[in-house]
Amino acid sequence: MMTETNFLRFNPADYFTYVLDQEIRLAGMPGGFAGFALALAAEPDLDRLQQRLDLLTQRFPQASAQIERLGKRYAWTPTGQPLLLQRHSCRVGEDAEAETQRLVLEILNRPDAKPLNLHWIAGGSGGTLLLHWNHPLLDARGAKIVLDFLNSDRPESFKDSPSPITLKLAQFRMWQWLRLFFKVKRHNHDVLSIDSCLPTQADAGQQSLRLKVRRFSEDETRQIAALARQHTGLAGKTLYYLGCFMRAMEQVGPPAAKAGYCIPYAFNLRRQNAPTPVFGNHVGCLFARATREQAQDRKGLFEHLLAQHRDVVREELDVGYLPFMWLGQWLSPARYAKFLRKQYSGGELSSLWFSDIGELSWGKQGFLGVPVTAMTHLCWMTLPPGLALLVGQLDGRLAMSYSYLHPAVDEAWLDLVIARMDAELMERL
Amino acid sequence: MKEKLKNFIFTELIYLEDPASFGDDDDLLAAGLDSMGIMRLILFAEKEFGVVLPDTEIEPHNVGSLNALEKWIKQAGPA
Repeated sequence: MMTETNFLRFNPADYFTYVLDQEIRLAGMPGGFAGFALALAAEPDLDRLQQRLDLLTQRFPQASAQIERLGKRYAWTPTGQPLLLQRHSCRVGEDAEAETQRLVLEILNRPDAKPLNLHWIAGGSGGTLLLHWNHPLLDARGAKIVLDFLNSDRPESFKDSPSPITLKLAQFRMWQWLRLFFKVKRHNHDVLSIDSCLPTQADAGQQSLRLKVRRFSEDETRQIAALARQHTGLAGKTLYYLGCFMRAMEQVGPPAAKAGYCIPYAFNLRRQNAPTPVFGNHVGCLFARATREQAQDRKGLFEHLLAQHRDVVREELDVGYLPFMWLGQWLSPARYAKFLRKQYSGGELSSLWFSDIGELSWGKQGFLGVPVTAMTHLCWMTLPPGLALLVGQLDGRLAMSYSYLHPAVDEAWLDLVIARMDAELMERL
Repeated sequence: MKEKLKNFIFTELIYLEDPASFGDDDDLLAAGLDSMGIMRLILFAEKEFGVVLPDTEIEPHNVGSLNALEKWIKQAGPA
């Protein structure tokens, strides 16, 4: 029998990601799993890494937990099982980079993974450390914090803290709840009214997860940052990536052509650099939207996206979705999924799944003393849209990881979009 | 004004073990103030101090430190 002390109820954002996890599973895919991969220049001390994993489950029992249903709600219940570092090796004689990607995808495509897994893939003179997790357990920022914990000389400094979502919700007075609720309802009406272009016409069928990564040099990254600042200002780097993607898709031609583009983008409620909370999802959601006509005018599109973003923050809609998410907890996964995914027309809301993980660095110390040479992110997503763009920057070098479903998304089409995206990002028009 | 800004920044936007040690000229961007944080900070300042901070002036020299922010807000016109 479960007691209040040995289970951890989902917060509203955990449930939000659980609902999407269930949608992915219902379509015959493994679920809402994600991967955070670090290429290391040499093999770290793997025994020390295992000791740190043991310490992680000791300090944070939810690291090896499973999902339990508690009436209408859900919770993580610790299993007490250890987390074992899983070791793999690239085939001898094969290209280490391609072989590593093959193994990473093999892991992500497994149908029966535990909620949190750590893999070491040996290849070449070093290898790749892959943190593989189920999204209701933690968000991408949490994944970075887990990696920091595994790497830290002071793991005792990682103490758990309350969810910023729960704290924020507790701050709202009744009248604020109601005001925000109706504001968001009106905003949602606009969001759901423009039918979204999609990267595929497929909405079912056997799929596997694939990945394409575009890595930019330091010079290219600086150039992109300067252009982002010019077009969307210091406050709108994410919007620059979103606008460039909308334009790239528009110019290549969306496989499912509708009225415009809608790209949800999360923002993390944790403070920057905060070492806690480690587990749980602590994100709110915003939407970048534009009609196809707006996407055709580069300057106008960026102005539009920036104004839209500013209005949303000014109207407090960034936190306004939290009461909605709180209410969503009382809906069944299937019913909530309809709210999250469908437009008035019945079409899929999201043209793309997107996340900007931000600028990360393991500095001169590296990970367990080994330099980190590259970073890749990947995730499963619903079909449609069947495509996710995860952006991150490591030591001043931008990486754009495109996860996509095969065969739903046409690879030749995606190659064209990525090439066009390069041109848009670097203004080589 | 600076105390209000500092309080908002370190309770809502950036984690520091010891916020009291953060100087008025220390670099907020290097401390972790990101694009979403800048937007939230600007809108907080507009609401709190009744000013309008133009998009075109969102530059590192205006948001890069507490002193810079205070100077920018004081120069800005009323809402």
